[in-house]
Amino acid sequence: MAATKTRTSSFSRNLPAASSAQSPEIKCGPNGTFLVSSGIPDLDKTLGGGIPLGSLVMVMEDSEAPHHMLLLRNFMSQGLVHKQPLLYASPSKDPRGFLGTLPSPSSPKDDKSRSHDAEQEKGLRIAWQYKKYFGENQSNLDGQRGMILFRFIVLYNKQEFSNEFDLRRPLDRHFYTGQHVDCISTKDLPNIAALQERCTSFLSQFSRYICTFFAIDFVGFTNLLIVTFRNDATVACTGRIAIQSLCAPQCESSNMEWEMLSFIRSLKSTVRSAIAVAIITFPSSLVSATFCKRWQHLADCLVSVKAIPDEDKELAKLLTGYQDIVGFLNIHRVPRINTQVPAVLEATTLSIKLQKRRYLVLECLNQAPVDGSSGSSYGTSGSCSGASSKSGSLDF
Amino acid sequence: MADSISRTIRDGALEGEHAPSLTIKDTTASPYGFDVFTHVLSQASSLILAGKSQSRGLVVVAYSRSPSFYLDFLKRSGVDVASSQKWIHILDCYTDPLGWKHQLADSGILPSNSSAGACLFQDVKDINKLQSLILELGSGLVGQGKVRFSVAIDSVTEMLRHVPLSKVAALISDLRSHDQISSIFWLLHSDIHDVRVTTSLEYLSAMVASVESLNQSSDGLSGDLGNLSLLEQNFRRGKFHVRFKRRNGRVRVMNEQFHMEESGIKFTSVTVEDGLVSQGLVPKVLFNLELSEKEKLERARVVLPFEHQGNGKHIQIYDGRRSLAPESMGEVSADTSQSNTEECSNGGGEIIYFRDSDDERPDSDEDPDDDLDI
Repeated sequence: MAATKTRTSSFSRNLPAASSAQSPEIKCGPNGTFLVSSGIPDLDKTLGGGIPLGSLVMVMEDSEAPHHMLLLRNFMSQGLVHKQPLLYASPSKDPRGFLGTLPSPSSPKDDKSRSHDAEQEKGLRIAWQYKKYFGENQSNLDGQRGMILFRFIVLYNKQEFSNEFDLRRPLDRHFYTGQHVDCISTKDLPNIAALQERCTSFLSQFSRYICTFFAIDFVGFTNLLIVTFRNDATVACTGRIAIQSLCAPQCESSNMEWEMLSFIRSLKSTVRSAIAVAIITFPSSLVSATFCKRWQHLADCLVSVKAIPDEDKELAKLLTGYQDIVGFLNIHRVPRINTQVPAVLEATTLSIKLQKRRYLVLECLNQAPVDGSSGSSYGTSGSCSGASSKSGSLDF
Repeated sequence: MADSISRTIRDGALEGEHAPSLTIKDTTASPYGFDVFTHVLSQASSLILAGKSQSRGLVVVAYSRSPSFYLDFLKRSGVDVASSQKWIHILDCYTDPLGWKHQLADSGILPSNSSAGACLFQDVKDINKLQSLILELGSGLVGQGKVRFSVAIDSVTEMLRHVPLSKVAALISDLRSHDQISSIFWLLHSDIHDVRVTTSLEYLSAMVASVESLNQSSDGLSGDLGNLSLLEQNFRRGKFHVRFKRRNGRVRVMNEQFHMEESGIKFTSVTVEDGLVSQGLVPKVLFNLELSEKEKLERARVVLPFEHQGNGKHIQIYDGRRSLAPESMGEVSADTSQSNTEECSNGGGEIIYFRDSDDERPDSDEDPDDDLDI
């Protein structure tokens, strides 16, 4: 919610002027970028506030687990809740059916009870990872301002930047039965060109730069003047594109690796010059290694999800809260637009948990050294994070 | 575990979900995938007949064996085939997959014989036709309503000879998302195909069962005749490794052993081995406070640069004075010098210690306070 600087030059960028107070779904990020929420508050926090407009997020799927669907669902729901136009492509025959499974934003009293539970769990803990607790307080301060308003002003539908989504409650139909939601099935497309066309036409509504050429007769001379107009009609609109399982084996186009690569490249460049965000998930094990590397290089934000084995005693000893963890999320690259300074994350591996089987939560992994004298890990006692490590790196 | 597989197939698909699918894969080192397939088939059939499973019918797409083989096999396994018309349909892609015999019969070269019972399919390159035929046969068995049926594909390897991977994958994913299909399972010989084929089919399956040989070396030509009988014995055994994709996104891994007998394949459970899976998943950010046994032994062997080695020898204390009797001095100095420069033979490291007190001139009777000018 920062004030925008008004520019006086005629070459002004078509920035969403509604970034101040009017539309909470966009907030100002560092280096002149604008951020939208990914639908998962923990992920937003790790990425530095949200996903910058114009970036391409790529998610590398694990063929053994459907965690990328959790990310997609939250992303799409967040867009729909903010009434942002959405384009969804999937390899199933009926992509519209998937919209019925999108989660609905959770009501504030659910959130309240959730934070209470977290408090009670702690008990007496040795704050091994003390930063984790700081982080929680901070996020409470930032995100809860809107929440406090929500609780008191019940009738006023105040939107926030980022919502908590309840995976067990489906989204109300009116959110996705509008003109602004478009679905494509990639299964029977003979080649990738059809998808490319749809994406381009979708993104043309959100383009930032509109150039108009004027010929002005000036005392006998004709001058060409380039003027950019603010595209006021769409100033409050941010587009979202969600492409699921781009290279799924049942799609005809999965064999054409060069075409898919050029599609991703053109999508990336179109998205960069549009007020939009695109997310693509793809099964990395099904793409050949060289192309996988190329696709990864094209991403502005690269994450991967990983399945974890079930009933694994080793892992249960290594991590606390193993019972709640459903998978891992690795953040390989954080979007850095307009800057050369790299982002160094505290932790690149987050655990995906479903709290009460409803709320998607990403947490840093809690591990600690083993107790040297007794040789057992603290993890078994449960109060502290515990770990046992058999890899000898440093020996004291 | 073979039982868990049967249970998952028995439970079938939930509303709005994909049907559970099973890939059975084997290699030439342990070529018992077909036996596993027939085992699953007989279990599924008996469950269908007993009415305990969600599916009420079974369509077998037979590429590598004739329909009569399957009926005989089921009869031998104790499944009632007399009423087979009501619950099983075998799509015969084995007898005449490309329609050559039909063409030859038409031109009068071969006598035409009509195959009774099973449905003959002569156009395996047309995957759409195959799909619609499967669905037709299945709904013929169970009717049009909410009742479901299962599909078993004899060998996807054979299917891939005629049809490209994307079409096979499309067929499988269509069948999985069809509301009348309860479960689907197929066999694949993984070493004949590219890795891409195997991974694509594993991507589409909820369970992956692989048949592996006991000894990891795939090269069976060890040339040792004495071990031949052992090899032969081991050949009839193997490991059965299953990965289940659970609904909550976790992967359950199960291991069993199997051995081949006259009557078929038998599974025995095996003790769970410690998985090293966790090491690869969790980032290594820890330091080690434990010593392994070897490291403890090494530590005990290090000779420290003190006289007190703690090993019971007579303690020699060096007090800086060399005015003791030369013999004992000699001994002392020899010992200490020896202990000082003794190499740590085991670790290859050396602790060379020079005492600072050696730098002092011995026995100087000077009183340092004499320098003071008071």
